[in-house]
Amino acid sequence: MRACAFAVAFLTALACAQVQAKDTGLIFVSNEKTNNITVIDPKTYKLIDDIKVPRRPRDMHFSADHTKLYVACGDDDVIAILDVATRKVVGELNTGPSPEAFAIDEKRRRIYVSDEEGSSLAIIDMDRDALVQEVPTGAEPEGVLVSDDGKIVYVTSEAGDLVHAIDADTGKIVRDVVVGLRPRRFAATPDGKELWVTAEMSGEVDIVNRDRFVVTGSIAFLPPGMRRADVTPVGLTMTADGKTAYVTLGHAAHVAVVDVPSRNVLGYILVGKRSWGITLSRDEKTLYVANGLGDDVTVIDTKSRKAGISVPVGRVPYGVVVDE
Amino acid sequence: MSKIGRWVLALLCVAGAKTIAAAQDTPPRAQIKLAFIEIENDPRYEPIRAYERIVLKTRAHPFTGAEIGLDDAAALARVLPAEFSLERISVKSSADAAPAVSAALEAGTHFFLIDAPAEAFEPLAAALHGRDALAFNVSEPDDALRRDLCAPEFVHVFPSRAQLMDGLAQFAVSRKWRDLLVFAGPSPADATITAAFTHSAQKFGARIAAEAHFKPGTDPREREQNDPALLSAGRDFDAVFVADDAFDFARTMPYRLARPRPVIGSIDLEPVAWHWTWEHNGAPQVNSRFEKKSGGRHMEGPDWAAWVAVKMIVQSALRTGSADFAKQRGFIFGPGTFDGDKGLALSVRAWDHQLRQAILLAAPYEVVADAPIEGFLHRTNQLDTLGDDAPESPCHLDK
Repeated sequence: MRACAFAVAFLTALACAQVQAKDTGLIFVSNEKTNNITVIDPKTYKLIDDIKVPRRPRDMHFSADHTKLYVACGDDDVIAILDVATRKVVGELNTGPSPEAFAIDEKRRRIYVSDEEGSSLAIIDMDRDALVQEVPTGAEPEGVLVSDDGKIVYVTSEAGDLVHAIDADTGKIVRDVVVGLRPRRFAATPDGKELWVTAEMSGEVDIVNRDRFVVTGSIAFLPPGMRRADVTPVGLTMTADGKTAYVTLGHAAHVAVVDVPSRNVLGYILVGKRSWGITLSRDEKTLYVANGLGDDVTVIDTKSRKAGISVPVGRVPYGVVVDE
Repeated sequence: MSKIGRWVLALLCVAGAKTIAAAQDTPPRAQIKLAFIEIENDPRYEPIRAYERIVLKTRAHPFTGAEIGLDDAAALARVLPAEFSLERISVKSSADAAPAVSAALEAGTHFFLIDAPAEAFEPLAAALHGRDALAFNVSEPDDALRRDLCAPEFVHVFPSRAQLMDGLAQFAVSRKWRDLLVFAGPSPADATITAAFTHSAQKFGARIAAEAHFKPGTDPREREQNDPALLSAGRDFDAVFVADDAFDFARTMPYRLARPRPVIGSIDLEPVAWHWTWEHNGAPQVNSRFEKKSGGRHMEGPDWAAWVAVKMIVQSALRTGSADFAKQRGFIFGPGTFDGDKGLALSVRAWDHQLRQAILLAAPYEVVADAPIEGFLHRTNQLDTLGDDAPESPCHLDK
């Protein structure tokens, strides 16, 4: 009887939770050193949950229907699967050593994950929890991006100063391009023509023409009062219309706002130290930035280009995603 | 037998068992050959033992550092204009280093990683003078090599003693440890270290309140010299700097001073080129690759320097798209900046060919700070607050 009541309560809770799960607007932050995901209420900016996950959670992505959140956990060599409604870990996918960043191809039911310590890109079958293939890359692979048609996977090699283009069917590297020092992460222009790559040690974003696979330009940054050497771009994101890009500048503690067509820097927004992870809300009015050496997330109003509040999270926040 | 003849013979004996990168069946691509030169029984790598023969520190030649550099380059094979090979040449003594390098140069090697004590460098400079060769110093901090020997064929990847001590002095001053005691050991190396630190302290405005000479031992008649408490008694101070190359006295100092003050220099807080606990700038990945390759050893300063030296050579080929020595050399001494996983980008000083780099201030289990410490400014590059800046250096390779 009691068990039954529990079951009913549980199912009710589950049902309610599922109703709430869509477009909750909840903000999920992965914290590398405290092994948890902090969940922030988007209206009050209060912490409403603290989800224990395997060690060193880093990159995060939702499934297309937003019922699941995948979290790469670097020190346990898994991608943890969270149920977004219940906010519990419901499964794990095994990766290679030290998974960092990944991309999901829902059509092929594959996850492409960079294994930082293994110097490889692991291709994982999401349904079978099977490592289908390991593609050797340059040392310290990081950023991963899949082309819209699913045919090409791009991955950076931080220590190799390379961007690889990998044929998704064969798992072979088909092209390489040498970019600036320590390339980290990607954004793709919506027209499919350009890849924007942050080069951390060069302090720039390099622009790769996807057809010819060559660097056709680069954008340098220097926020007022900062030194060139502190400018260490890592994270970047682009508006859906492909007009504006936002780039986190690491130790320079600013986000750069870039006009994509002209490649001009429009301004800088002050954030915390070692700002890496960056995410735009769907309405593109709000920008969330994880400050790795500030243990907080800065919330930015994109219209005024001003930072509002900074929300304390766990230790060494890596990424931010929004459930909407 | 002529001197040269004996050298060549010595080299052949050494090289006999090693694989000198032989010309294989018509290589399809250009070859860039690297040689790592080390001295057998180099006293700098002897284990440091306690009185009871307990090993306190094991030390190893940094060849593994060069190897991980080459491993990193393997992933670049498709975009590199050449293939790289690395040969390890062990010679019996410092005197054999220059002839070994000359022979390898004749056989087509232009890039050398030199893991040798200071005494080996003068003959090396003579052997390489005017030749198409670059010799990367990966383990010797001696300032005289940069200041007095001042040879254009050298690239000092390992930090100079001046850089190391400047980093430590910046840290002490930033912590407001301005009144320092200096304890100097009996060896010539200790005297050199003491002089370097004294200079750095003056440069950044710390005061040497007193300098004392310690004499390791237990003789009660010499207790004024062998007891850390008596040596530090009588006046207040903020910290003690100890110069003790042998390490046997330094290790008795912490917790035994007249006052509860920190010890810096040869123990507890040491200025280093690299540390296994450094966790920024991609360091954990390099440390992990190194530990895997070395069978669990922690990566140290010379390992880092060997890794960076290979990286510089590989980058010079990658960025110039060329296996042409002159172009590579031009890149390294010109626009080349390099990522050494410790923050600010590395580059070579035009005047003395010292690599600009951050210095880590390392406690046994933590990098407490990295110099240049915030607030120490320079008109062009903060890294030039460490070591000999152009106006101070007597070496002017750029002129």
